[in-house]
Amino acid sequence: MTTTATVIDRLRARIGVDGPAVTAPVEAGHVRRFVEAVGDPNPRWQKETPPTFLVALANVSIHLAEAEEYGKGWLNGGNRFEYLVPVLIGDLITARGHVADVYEKEGASGNLLFIIFETEYTNQRGDLVARLRGTMIRR
Amino acid sequence: MSARGSVEVGQELPELVKHPTTRQLVQYAGAQGDFYEIHYDQDYARSVALPGVILHGLLKAAFLGQLVTDWLGDRGTLVTFEVSYRGVDAPGHPYRCRGRVSKVDGSDVELEVWGEDEAGRRTTVGSATLRLD
Repeated sequence: MTTTATVIDRLRARIGVDGPAVTAPVEAGHVRRFVEAVGDPNPRWQKETPPTFLVALANVSIHLAEAEEYGKGWLNGGNRFEYLVPVLIGDLITARGHVADVYEKEGASGNLLFIIFETEYTNQRGDLVARLRGTMIRR
Repeated sequence: MSARGSVEVGQELPELVKHPTTRQLVQYAGAQGDFYEIHYDQDYARSVALPGVILHGLLKAAFLGQLVTDWLGDRGTLVTFEVSYRGVDAPGHPYRCRGRVSKVDGSDVELEVWGEDEAGRRTTVGSATLRLD
């Protein structure tokens, strides 16, 4: 499978290369729409953000058009969040992401391509507030 | 009373049952900014060999996050939260979020969490680590 090998090689060349940094404010209205969509009425989210909110601030998977040459569609394999400093409404968050790993695995119904993304989030004071590791799968 | 006195290995978290609808998937797609068609377009979802539209993995993660933060309350802080998506789930079916305390070491607590479909299949599994005040 020469084509597949080429796609994987091209993606592997992206490992460790930072994507563009994205800066976004944590807006009360956005957090409210997010927790309404989840159905999480905890009044705590009027001041701070719920555990998975950071994914709504900036796209967590750098758009890798070449990955779409592999398989039919995307699946989310998993997410791991590490929290260092609370993220509050009114904060200005900068997300910096990169591809951490790319590999192919044999699945029950054909081969799968795994792409691991890592994102670091800092606030307006430059504090590292959270890290996210995500596994995206092409099937 | 110290918060950690009431936390023991094996203790189950009060379960959280969600009733996701296609409408909720659209609402979540907008709130997260994830407009991948498999979450709202039936024809598109079937064209990529899915049974129909499916829940966002990150929506199931948010449900499990709610399970954890509801249980934790103001007794401490969430340190890590991890989920793996093992199976797909369709809207129109209840989704049960469950968890139990798997480890207690002083003020550090680990939880095992999972989401179950109607058949009891654990389609999302994960863990959380917490620090009690």
